[in-house]
This record gives sequence, structure tokens and C-alpha cells, in this order.
Amino acid sequence: MIRKTDDIIIRTVARILVPFIQIYALYVIMHGHYSPGGGFQGGVILGASIVLLLITHGLVETKKKIPEKAIALFSSMGVFIYAGIGVLCLLLFGNFLDYGKLSVILNIPPAAARAMGILGVEIGVSITVMAVMISIFTSISTAEDHSKYDKEH
Amino acid sequence: MNTFFLVIGIGLCVLVFFVLYRVVFGPGVFNRIAAISAIGTKTLIIILIMGIIYNRIDMFVDISMVYALLNFIGTLAAAKYLEIGGEKL
Amino acid sequence: MNTASIIAALFIILFTVGGLFFFTTSTIGLLRFPDFFTRLHATGKGDTLAVLFSLIGIGIYEGLSLTGFKILLIAVFMFLAQPTATHAISKAGMRYGLQPWKKEDSRK
Repeated sequence: MIRKTDDIIIRTVARILVPFIQIYALYVIMHGHYSPGGGFQGGVILGASIVLLLITHGLVETKKKIPEKAIALFSSMGVFIYAGIGVLCLLLFGNFLDYGKLSVILNIPPAAARAMGILGVEIGVSITVMAVMISIFTSISTAEDHSKYDKEH
Repeated sequence: MNTFFLVIGIGLCVLVFFVLYRVVFGPGVFNRIAAISAIGTKTLIIILIMGIIYNRIDMFVDISMVYALLNFIGTLAAAKYLEIGGEKL
Repeated sequence: MNTASIIAALFIILFTVGGLFFFTTSTIGLLRFPDFFTRLHATGKGDTLAVLFSLIGIGIYEGLSLTGFKILLIAVFMFLAQPTATHAISKAGMRYGLQPWKKEDSRK
């Protein structure tokens, strides 16, 4: 059971830093074609920002921001986005994950459609990685049964 | 200018080996965590200097940022674990 | 090589060597001081200043660009994060029960 830290300096600095870390993670995901990074790395940074919130603000307050149902939903939604783009290409008479065929739907040339398809796949990967990282961390750090603790708060 | 940054980088690498003494022999777990945090700070600069030497600093600056971030979160997590009564080490 | 680039090179060398100097002093402090809190005092202050000096030097070398802006961002982040990490770990040490070094204690 992770409790809230009673130190105001650590709490304030973490609260200031978390949104900027998340914006940086979005930059790493979106800019993954040209610089180091991509879906997995951006997802890890997003997960690390939530872990920072978890170790400074405690489990109860973090669950108000991201409920466990949402985490489970996210972890399957990313896989759904990844596989959905792949199957969409199959339905348009291409191979699995053949992004060039997406130009019919998006109404843009095939080269631009390829870039958009890769971006969609990386967004799916990052959502899954973030949700699975948070879920692993909460599962390890809650050694005891905390369903009773939830009812009290 | 490249030779100058190479010399600075080698100096930082030597300093990392001196700090490694505190990691290996330091009495108690707290000295070790402090020394590891210091090593992470030096590594951040070493990564940037490597970027200058390879002439690809626009790539290495992202890695350096993430390294600083993970170093900070790791130190906070270790401090949190030891604060709420980890075993007596 | 014109005058402006020579002045820029002088500032780069000044700041980067200053950063290396403060890294050296903080390392000596970490190795030589007698107990945990004094060692943390050396690394917490010295490393922050040394990182700022080195980043300013590298930033002048890079000039005004997106990379220079990112280096400035790293400097701001380190200026916030490094003292906080030092504070957290020193407070954890106090809660754990480490005793500060007194003058009467004999050096090993």
C-alpha cells in the first residue's frame, strides 16, 4: 500500500513536473520518425510520469485520476488500434499492415498514408505500454488486499 | 574544439570511476544511493559530449533528457522505499 | 576565425572547465567527508552547479536552435529535480535513524 508522502516539497515539485513529462512523452511518440524514440519509448515515459504521481501522491489519489478499469480498458484498446489498422489494410485488398492502401479512405497520396499509418500504430503501442507498466507497478506495490481501504475513503 | 570536448569527457569518465568506489564500499545503502545519483548526473553530461563528438547532438539531447528524468524518478522511489521501513539493511 | 567566434570559444572553455572543476570538488567531497549527510551536502550542491555550468557551455557551443532550447530545458529540469532528490534522500536517511557526525567522533 503506497501512502501519500507528507513532505510538501516533493509533492509540489512532482505536481509541477508531471504535465511537462507527459508533453515530452507525446513529443517522443510523435517525433519518433526523425529522432530516437517511438511508440515503446514514449509509452514508457508516460508510464513513468504516472509512477511519479503514484509514489508521491499515494495510491488512493492516483486511482481517482486513473481508475483500474480505465487501465484495463487502455491496455486492450492499444492492441485493438494496432490490430485494427492492420485488418483495415487487409479489408482494402492489401497485406497485413500495408499502410499504402489506407490512401483510399484518408484521401491522400500513398506516401503520406504510410506516415499516418505508422503514427497510428505507434499511438496504439504507446497506449498499451503505458497501461501495462502502470498495472504491473500497482500489482507489485499493493502487497495486501486494499478493497477494504478503498471503502473507507 | 572536438579534442577539447574529448578531454572533458575523459575527465568525467575518470571521475565516475572514483565515485564507483563509494558505490562498492560505501557503508550502508544510503551512501550507495547518493553515489549512484551522482553517477547519473555525470552520465548526462557524458552523453551530451558524445553527441558533440559524433556530430549528432540533435539525437543525443533527447536521450540525455530521458536519462535525467529516469535518474530523478529512481532516486525518489528508492528514498520512498527506505523511508517507510524497508528491512534494516 | 573572427573576433566573435574567439570570444564564444573562450566562454565555452571557461564554462565547461568550470563544470569539470565543480564535478571534481563534489567527487572529492563524496569520497573524503566523514558521514552520510556531509557527503550529500557535497554532491547535492556541487553537482547541480556543475551541471548548470556544463550545460551553459554546451549550449553556447550549439547556439540558438531547437537543440539549444532543449539543452536549456534540461538545465531547468535539473535545477528543479536535483535539489528535490537530494532533499528526499536526506529526509529518508533521517527517518531511518542515521546519526549526524559530531566533532568528538574519531575519524576512521
